Amino acid sequence: MSNDLKPHMAIVKDITIENSNTKTYVLEFADKQQHKNFTWDPGQFMMLSLFGVGEAALSISNIPEDGLISTTIRAVGNVTKKIKELKKGDTLGMRGPYGTGWPIKEAKGKNILLIAGGMGLAPLRGVINHIAIKRNNFGHLEIIYGARTPNDMIFTNQFRDWYQIEKSRLDLTVDGIPPGTPWEGKIGLVTSCFPAMKTRPQNSVALVCGPEVMMRFVAKCLETIGFKENQIFLSLERRMKCGIGKCGHCQLGPKYVCKDGPVFPYRDIKPYINPL
Amino acid sequence: MGNEKAFTIEKNDFGRLLEHLLKKYRVFGPTQRGLDATFNEIKTNDQLFLDYVSTVLPPKKFFHPPRLELFSFDLHQKHVKIEEIKQDEKTLLLGIHPCDVHALLRLDDFFLGEFQDPYYQNRRKNTVLVALNCIEPSDYAFCNSMGTGPFLEEGYDLLLTDIGTKYLIEIGSDTGQNILKGIQLENATTADFTEKNHRFKLLEKRFKRFINTSWLSKIAQENIDHEVWERLGEQGGVSGSLPCLSCGQCSLVCPTCYCYDVYDTLDLSLKKGKRIRELDSCQLLEYGEVAQGGNFRPNRKDRIRHWMLCKLGVAAGGQQSSCVGCGRCIRTCPVGIDITEVAKVLRGE
Ligand SMILES: Cc1cc2nc3c(=O)[nH]c(=O)nc-3n(C[C@H](O)[C@H](O)[C@H](O)COP(=O)(O)OP(=O)(O)OC[C@H]3O[C@@H](n4cnc5c(N)ncnc54)[C@H](O)[C@@H]3O)c2cc1C
Ligand code: FES
Repeated sequence: MSNDLKPHMAIVKDITIENSNTKTYVLEFADKQQHKNFTWDPGQFMMLSLFGVGEAALSISNIPEDGLISTTIRAVGNVTKKIKELKKGDTLGMRGPYGTGWPIKEAKGKNILLIAGGMGLAPLRGVINHIAIKRNNFGHLEIIYGARTPNDMIFTNQFRDWYQIEKSRLDLTVDGIPPGTPWEGKIGLVTSCFPAMKTRPQNSVALVCGPEVMMRFVAKCLETIGFKENQIFLSLERRMKCGIGKCGHCQLGPKYVCKDGPVFPYRDIKPYINPL
Repeated sequence: MGNEKAFTIEKNDFGRLLEHLLKKYRVFGPTQRGLDATFNEIKTNDQLFLDYVSTVLPPKKFFHPPRLELFSFDLHQKHVKIEEIKQDEKTLLLGIHPCDVHALLRLDDFFLGEFQDPYYQNRRKNTVLVALNCIEPSDYAFCNSMGTGPFLEEGYDLLLTDIGTKYLIEIGSDTGQNILKGIQLENATTADFTEKNHRFKLLEKRFKRFINTSWLSKIAQENIDHEVWERLGEQGGVSGSLPCLSCGQCSLVCPTCYCYDVYDTLDLSLKKGKRIRELDSCQLLEYGEVAQGGNFRPNRKDRIRHWMLCKLGVAAGGQQSSCVGCGRCIRTCPVGIDITEVAKVLRGE
């Protein structure tokens, strides 16, 4: 019988520095056959292990078409700080993919509004890449991205490409600017980008990922301007210990975030995202 | 009418049955420890305490142990060697009560559904259940209300019922049938079954606690803002209890609480280690912790509500982690919280 809790070895193929505390890692299963058979939906996550340290849930930040698996990791604690020390060619444990991804199939033909805060852009990058290569399958694409400061943003070297995506708009905002940091975008919370927002509720879906307080505000604002509860999708974060609906840690009302989510229609979780 | 699938054995001859079981299995059963009963390994008949009322910990400890080594790893090479730690010993659990069997049936659904847990499955597959119908309800039990006791109808390999000077032995599975091969037993008679039914009727009247389960899950689900949670968690208490201390004992003694934590250990070489899982409780503050000092259930109220809702079948585990009425949480709670009283308040009784 297969053991979902037992990680498989993976090799770090490449590392990109995103900012002082965040890097993107390109990973490949050591077992070539396993790697070949591996696929996922943007929005799904992996459990990464450093043996002797522990395990953490991390979103896949690219699309299967890229061939290799990318994750973008902010060093905040035991596992992620150790991952930060890894070099090209180093190994780590990996299992997954887990959870439900973004509703890309249902979003076909619709306008897409992506709202991300901080690290929340990581699980959404796959959606942007997917839309970029299947441009005709979707309507207008609008990306609103906010971070605490310009130095906390990730994927900044890709913004230029995103600006070039046809029928799209990219709006950037930060909470504040440390002295001496150049910045041309807005200053304010992501919701301060709403007045200039182009996407209208009709025939649109909103995909939102960021800190939970931010998502609560965003969802509320979107509702006020006419988005229905089933047009808004949120990706939630919990401290996951298993990723497969067994350890209980990610429970949210009657759902497991790891298995029923992390992406949920707002409708399904609205009563529970005030802490339960 | 004699039942071809049932036998009897005189109580003073029970050692003969035990010896027969010990030939094939490591046997675990109820033993007396001070004023309490606990499940331990049984080697001789005098260790057995079949007249027990309830055990401190449920038999969950054999299937979902409080601390379990998942796998070992060896970091000497870049390609880390990972080895699953298996338990393949054939064991037999003797004298497990109906509510605890029902709890296992729920954990079966939980651990053997989507994403099967090989650790649970292995232990379960290798363990024979010789259940024992209750003789006396504990002061705290309400299995009768929950439909999980005091007598058992499913989930056993063999089922024992105390019918006076002997035990009635019923067979519930092929395994159960095979176990009895090679031991001489009396066939059960109609009178033996009459005695069993008679005892069941008497026993039913002896319960001190009840819960009205009709629509209870739904009522609980619709009352997540009820004032009872504030009283339970922060101030006031319910029906004479004090507010919850968040000690987590209820989870530890609950036969359907499954939550666990995971961590790694290293030995002195710092090159070899193990990944461990350990029972956890949603009552503990750390359980809901996230980044930057955040916590999804920062208040005791949030946590005790979550536990109660889980036991009433409306958390993520659904019925699979719900209450079987064993009463252990009521007995163990240092401040006297009683789920049957909470249910009454929720119903407006
Ligand atoms: C579905 C999902 C996808 C995620 N995707 C990404 C991603 O793409 N990139 C990324 O950098 N992070 C992501 N995270 C968050 C990541 O899992 C945590 O940062 C990580 O588990 C921290 O582990 P650690 O051992 O380094 O920290 P620990 O030493 O365990 O903890 C350090 C601090 O972080 C807190 N913390 C631990 N785990 C979490 C968590 N899951 N959520 C919030 N706070 C936590 C702790 O309470 C503590 O304050 C994701 C989380 C989930 C649930
Ligand atoms: S992470 Fe363990 S149940 Fe969801």
